[in-house]
Amino acid sequence: MGNTLGLAPMGTLPRRTPRREEPLPNPGSFDELHRLCKDVFPAQMEGVKLVINKVLSSHFQVAHTVHMSALGLPGYHLHAAYAGDWQLSPTEVFPTVVGDMDSSGSLNAQVLLLLAERLRAKAVFQTQQAKFLTWQFDGEYRGDDYTATLTLGNPDLIGESVIMVAHFLQSVTQRLVLGGELVYHRRPGEEGAILTLAGKYSAVHWVATLNVGSGGAHASYYHRANEQVQVGVEFEANTRLQDTTFSFGYHLTLPQANMVFRGLVDSNWCVGAVLEKKMPPLPVTLALGAFLNHWRNRFHCGFSITVG
Amino acid sequence: MLMPRDVNREITAGGSIQQSRGIGCPKQSIFFVAGFERRSFPSVLHVGLKERSISLARGPHLYLFLPSPSLLSDVFPAQMEGVKLVINKVLSSHFQVAHTVHMSALGLPGYHLHAAYAGDWQLSPTEVFPTVVGDMDSSGSLNAQVLLLLAERLRAKAVFQTQQAKFLTWQFDGEYRGDDYTATLTLGNPDLIGESVIMVAHFLQSVTQRLVLGGELVYHRRPGEEGAILTLAGKYSAVHWVATLNVGSGGAHASYYHRANEQVQVGVEFEANTRLQDTTFSFGYHLTLPQANMVFRGLVDSNWCVGAVLEKKMPPLPVTLALGAFLNHWRNRFHCGFSITVG
Repeated sequence: MGNTLGLAPMGTLPRRTPRREEPLPNPGSFDELHRLCKDVFPAQMEGVKLVINKVLSSHFQVAHTVHMSALGLPGYHLHAAYAGDWQLSPTEVFPTVVGDMDSSGSLNAQVLLLLAERLRAKAVFQTQQAKFLTWQFDGEYRGDDYTATLTLGNPDLIGESVIMVAHFLQSVTQRLVLGGELVYHRRPGEEGAILTLAGKYSAVHWVATLNVGSGGAHASYYHRANEQVQVGVEFEANTRLQDTTFSFGYHLTLPQANMVFRGLVDSNWCVGAVLEKKMPPLPVTLALGAFLNHWRNRFHCGFSITVG
Repeated sequence: MLMPRDVNREITAGGSIQQSRGIGCPKQSIFFVAGFERRSFPSVLHVGLKERSISLARGPHLYLFLPSPSLLSDVFPAQMEGVKLVINKVLSSHFQVAHTVHMSALGLPGYHLHAAYAGDWQLSPTEVFPTVVGDMDSSGSLNAQVLLLLAERLRAKAVFQTQQAKFLTWQFDGEYRGDDYTATLTLGNPDLIGESVIMVAHFLQSVTQRLVLGGELVYHRRPGEEGAILTLAGKYSAVHWVATLNVGSGGAHASYYHRANEQVQVGVEFEANTRLQDTTFSFGYHLTLPQANMVFRGLVDSNWCVGAVLEKKMPPLPVTLALGAFLNHWRNRFHCGFSITVG
């Protein structure tokens, strides 16, 4: 008697490989989507800066910055950072308390706390001398392959104003991350919301990110050509300011020469570069930078020495 | 190696004394021959005639034509602003060229070409004749100097300076070097049509091995106006220090240079101007660390200026990196810059 159902006998069917369930990675934070591309661009340097980093213990670090600039900015900054005991990963330590105070009394402070294994909270305060500019609180939940964040910016119960931001990022595949951001702001007599969709595709050698919303668009492309050269391209469009910017930056590393070079060309007719060089055996890093805006004929240069 | 001195006068605040400080030293000729010994004794270093002619146009003024210690001008740092790249090329034993690309916030002309020709007649390790030096920038302004040796003791010099197409300075002088004296006659901006001229006569006499005395007479003439200023000068050179003094109706200028040891040199300068009713006191030091290939110059001023320049050679490349910053506390002005010199 044969099979009545016409089914093949067991053991003869080609074994269907079980669906490989590789866990999707956590997409990280929404603010860090464009981070790789932004690290390629040089930072504007103006005037002379001396930075002295001191590690006081495994938990506490202090940095003194003396800055002399033609713009008359406050000359001295004290930066203190405390890192607690709970180490989630090599880069994340909780609780972290970071503060930066300058000689005019303005303070920038951040507190990062780990409330539970997947839940973290952050508070950011910014003052201009005695006046508070920013007080912001947010909570972030990191799931297996998604991240959800809720941020309260400048909540003011008396003035009835608040800015609320909600982020959601989901890893769709190993390489693709999709998500969105909703910004809701409220003031007495006015309220509005902006929705932005975001996507990020990470290949082996390159990463492309796109944010599109009613407030504008922001696209970035980061490419790692080889060990030494990284290239970043960024496009930003702002519907409110009716302004678009296109930037091209490159990052060149020469580890044997202890040198890092970052260059930038902009659609605003800006050209800039920063050269950083370590000076062994001293723990000193010298950075030379210059930026030239051809359109407005503005030029500024500066150098900085970092000790420690 | 022939190199022009930095002429960043626009950076400094107004007032001629402050202006002159901004250049580093007004008594320094526009072109100096770096690496050549500048201490000739007795020597007359011609001042930048630019300042001379511009100031004299405003009235009688003390012109410090006299042996301002060239040693002292090496002690004070030069103001640096913006980014500068200097490429020196020696084309032959007679000809050198330097390209300078300067990016500054003040919008000064960006490119300078400096060419120097040195002839065959070598009077001493530092003096070669004839010497023709020219500096042209991207806006067409030219600074030129011609030095000739007419006879063994007689030398002539011509200096021209233009601002784009207009001549600012045309100066001719003749110098006679006797055994222990030097006499110089200079004609500045002689204008036969406009009937104006500036004539300067110098005389320096070595009185002893260490003491030099002399004087300067500046006569200027314009249609309807003429005047003369007499300045007396003295210079005393000891083993480790040099002191100079210029006194005249236009003001006074005293300077003291001290070589503390192989590494440290110190300079002190006092300047008083009767016309501008202004006095300035400057203190500068020069620190050399040959093992580190480093030279550091610092300056403190009575105009509440503090400045420093650090120069470092980077062997094995023929590259010199210079970092400089100047801060004027009184006027709250700060500028910094760095320059890279190749060759």
